[in-house]
Formats: sequence, structure tokens, C-alpha cells
Amino acid sequence: MHIEDGILPPRAWGFWYGVTLLFIVPGIREIKRRVRENLSYKPFLAMVGVAVFVISAMHLPVPVTGSCSHPCGTPLAAIIVGPFATAVISLIVLFFQAIFLGHGGITTIGANDFSMGIAGGISGYLCWRLARRFNSPLWLAGGIAGFVGDVLTYLTSSFELALSLHGHIPLLKQWMIFFAGYGPTQLPLAVAEAVFTAAVLQVMYNRRPDLLPGVTDRKKIFRETGKPEMEG
Amino acid sequence: MRTDKDGAVETAPWFDPFTRWMLIIMFTILAIIFVAAKYMDVHNMQGGGTDDTVNAMASRVAGAKAAHPFVNLPGDAQVGAFSVANFFAGLIVGHNWKKLFEMEKKD
Repeated sequence: MHIEDGILPPRAWGFWYGVTLLFIVPGIREIKRRVRENLSYKPFLAMVGVAVFVISAMHLPVPVTGSCSHPCGTPLAAIIVGPFATAVISLIVLFFQAIFLGHGGITTIGANDFSMGIAGGISGYLCWRLARRFNSPLWLAGGIAGFVGDVLTYLTSSFELALSLHGHIPLLKQWMIFFAGYGPTQLPLAVAEAVFTAAVLQVMYNRRPDLLPGVTDRKKIFRETGKPEMEG
Repeated sequence: MRTDKDGAVETAPWFDPFTRWMLIIMFTILAIIFVAAKYMDVHNMQGGGTDDTVNAMASRVAGAKAAHPFVNLPGDAQVGAFSVANFFAGLIVGHNWKKLFEMEKKD
């Protein structure tokens, strides 16, 4: 989903920068609010930001298709540090990946952040909230979030490309052509991302449930750990 | 030799439970990568990234030449850059991990 410079026309990458900005502003507010509320949030955010950097640069081979791709880490990030904060940390991650590793581009940071940090993060977060509302087990809710967030990231990326480049071809057809480039490799990795997201959430729940907003009731957390729950 | 306040010798095990689990997970992932890579090698698969494939496809559709990366890393320099980035990423995660997840010592 790292779209390179020179592919999207200026009007398109400018548009995606504008859309991304709409999520970055509340993201910065979310970070400021949570930092004030909980001392653990700042180191936690730093740790999650670095984890997203590593996970989204980690190319894994998929023998079924004979190509490599990477997971995103943003669905997990959105669940544990918040969906809007995830948009901010993804923006920083994509900037460093673009300038130091040649992944993505400078002009396409807005488009790439929209697919990975916003669409991937928020869709994962919403799946998580929905599954938890229906009393789904923690691992299952996390797994669904990881899978959906991963697939949505690549669907959004293909859409961004198709929207600008479909020309006389129907948008839907061009969208699916681009997604066909990602999909077969990405689907097994989305399953891996689901397992990873579920495992991390389960381990966090066992060790520091107070860091997971809205997972268990506050009284239970306080009784078991003596720590008040981080605000969600 | 370090002793605690009661005079007992303090020891640091080579493989505490956390290290053991991390190594098990790491070697499992590496084994999956090696087996997958070997399979691809045997079947003459190129193993290129899907990002590059789709970017090339999109460049053709756009009739554009993808821009040169801001910092181009030829050959093994990319492995070096990844190693440096991941080394410091590990330090930052480790530093914050201890703050957040280290078990409190019980008296």
C-alpha cells in the first residue's frame, strides 16, 4: 500500500493530504487529552509507533503467490492507543519510511496514511468495538479487527489508485484490477495479522488490562491490579 | 558476585520465561519465512513485493515514471538501513516495555 511519488497526479495527492488532515487534527487532540489523563500513555504511544514502523516495513514471503507483502499493525494500534492517534503515528511512520527506506513517497504520504492509518485503523477499531458489544471473546474481536483492518487498507489503496487512473475503464473494474495485484498475497497476511492482533491483545489483557480501554469493567480492573483503567 | 540483602547469591538465568517465549516466537516466524522462501526459490518464483508490482502497474496506467526515492539505497545499503532502524526500534520498544510491563517486585 506504499504508493510511490509520481503515480498520483497533484490534484489527487493534494486531495488525500486534505482528507488526512481532517483526521490528524482530532488525532493530535486525542493524544494531548490522553497524555493529560494517563502517565503511561506517552511511552505506550512511542512503543506502538515504533511497532507500526517495524510491522509495516516487514515484508513476508507468501509462497502461494510467489511474492512478498507486509502487515500494517494499525488495527492493533487503533484499539490500544485510539483510532485518531493512530492516524498521527502512521503519518510519522510513513514519513520516515519514505525518506530513509524509499518505501512510499513524500507526495503520497496523505494517500498512504489514509489507507493504512485511517481506513485500516478505524475499520479495525470499529470491528473491535462491534464485536465486543456482542460479547465476543477478546481474541476473536481482536482477530476480526486485524483481518478487516488489513484488507481494508489494501482495498483503500487500490481505490485511491483507481480513482485517479481509471480513465475510460469503469472505476469498479480498475479498482479490482489494482486490488488483484495486492489481494492474493495480502489475504494470507491478513490472517497472520488477525492472529498477531488477537495474541497481543490477549497478552496485554493478562498483564496490563488497565491499558486496554473498555475491555473489562473498571471495578474489576481496579480490584485485580489496583490501577485505574486508561480512559477510552 | 552480587548478593542480595540477605546475603544470598543473585543469579540471572540465561533463559527466563520472557526470553524463552520471545526466542520461540522469533524462531517460529523465521522458520516459516525460510520454508516459504525455499519453496519460492525451488519453484523459480521471484518473490517481489506487491507494493512494487502494483506501483509498476499504476505507473504504466498513468503513463508516468515513478519518481526516484528521496534517499535511494543501493544494494546492501537497504539491509543496513533496515538493521539500524530496527535496532533502535528495538531499544525504544524495550525501554518503554520495561516501564509498562515489567512485573513489580514483591517484598
